Amino acid sequence: MALFFALWEAVFLVVPFNPLFISKPSQIALGLLDLVSSGDLAHDLTVSAVPFVYGFSAAVLVGVALGVVMGWRPRVGYALDPLMTVFYASPLVALAPLVVFFFGVGVGGKAMIIFLLAVFPFMFNAAAGVRAVDRLLIDVVRSLGGSERDLYLKVMLPSVLPYIVAGARIAIGRALIGVLVAEFFAASEGIGYAIARFGDLFALDRMFACIIVIMVIAVVLTQGMRWAERAAFPWRRAAG
Amino acid sequence: MTTIGQRNGGLDVMAAYIQARNINLAFRPSQRAPVRALAQFDLDVAEGEFLSIVGPSGCGKSTFLNVLLGLLRPDSGDLMVDGKRIAGPGTDRAMVFQEFGLLPWRTVQANVELGLELKRLPPDKRRAISRPLIDMIGLSGFEQHYPHELSGGMKQRVGLARALATDPKVLLMDEPFAALDAQTRDIMQAELLRVWQQARKTVLFVTHQIEEAVYLSDRVVVMTRRPGHAKKVFDIALPRPRDYEMRVTPQFNDIKLAIWQSLRDEITA
Repeated sequence: MALFFALWEAVFLVVPFNPLFISKPSQIALGLLDLVSSGDLAHDLTVSAVPFVYGFSAAVLVGVALGVVMGWRPRVGYALDPLMTVFYASPLVALAPLVVFFFGVGVGGKAMIIFLLAVFPFMFNAAAGVRAVDRLLIDVVRSLGGSERDLYLKVMLPSVLPYIVAGARIAIGRALIGVLVAEFFAASEGIGYAIARFGDLFALDRMFACIIVIMVIAVVLTQGMRWAERAAFPWRRAAG
Repeated sequence: MTTIGQRNGGLDVMAAYIQARNINLAFRPSQRAPVRALAQFDLDVAEGEFLSIVGPSGCGKSTFLNVLLGLLRPDSGDLMVDGKRIAGPGTDRAMVFQEFGLLPWRTVQANVELGLELKRLPPDKRRAISRPLIDMIGLSGFEQHYPHELSGGMKQRVGLARALATDPKVLLMDEPFAALDAQTRDIMQAELLRVWQQARKTVLFVTHQIEEAVYLSDRVVVMTRRPGHAKKVFDIALPRPRDYEMRVTPQFNDIKLAIWQSLRDEITA
């Protein structure tokens, strides 16, 4: 990592690039410092975090609920699966202008795009988790006098949870794409808007600074998820 | 109480602890022809008896255990345990499953305590029951281990302890040692006999291995091929406690041969 930045910096000593089209790490660091000290970065991140939280939370709730029903009721699964696959596989980003048109510029439209991108991993993984529930374990709990509620709490939930967390790891990346795309299209503030604006202004040092911040956030969230997963599901350590 | 003619039982009808009379059950998979699993199945089991069921694959042995456990409802017939009709799962019966059926997200202790937890026993009472059981199956020190950290034999010990935890009268064992290697299986058989002699449960043991059935049981029931019912009942008049060396005696082998001959007709016919 350090070597990568060192090489990047070194290339500039030899090749006289036009600073309008490319920047170097030392300048990016200065730009980052500037963004941090001025409070612009914090402001943009806060603005972007709001629709992220809304869209992601909605994706968890709707995705898991739909996924569980799809996994548990084969008919619903058969009916919905082709449609959902179409949405999951296709570049939903193409729908972004339409979403902004329907839901407006601002939190609503952004949250909707994030939701659309993040909901499918939750849905498919929850459905797969429910389908993978071991019938034997259901028999075990029933034979020991377990109620319907016991089946959900003591068998279904623990079996499905790791699948949902695995889905969340994929969904985080897609939701961050959602943030950027939404703000590229229509926004007046936010981290995605900042990247687009600095790009337009040829302020490449600050644009790169924002990009690196987004990358760090993505890695931290995804890795954090992985750590949380390991801490929360110790029984999967050997299997996984 | 209606008594239907006793076809295959060896024991007094009125005294039998478990009474199965004319049990019929067919599976009806959607879009396929129904499969008759049990037909006119009769069986009597005495209290505290160790009874094994052998039979060809798919003859309904496991189906009968699941009926007895209360997970499957027969189409017709009477099934009584201790004079009470079976209407569903109950704490007077517990099953040890072939594939162990341990909850992978629960430690050894939490798996053993599962039935107690479902009975809403407070944690301290659960612990008081699970601790001596875990000692008995030789897994002290492994209380906080997860199933994936255990060997097959250890897993099935947990399965056995879990079944015993709710103190059932009847222990149902569905090929409990089939997934274990031969040596572990020998050890588990001896362990089971030891536990059974201590706890004096009525045991119904389904197996494919005639030797295992003879070694463990007071009586061995041979079932017909599907739709299954009891074909012949063998009394195993071997003294107890039984040891491993007993398996190479002529008497033991005579019994094995007799059961094999009875079973062979069902497999090859």
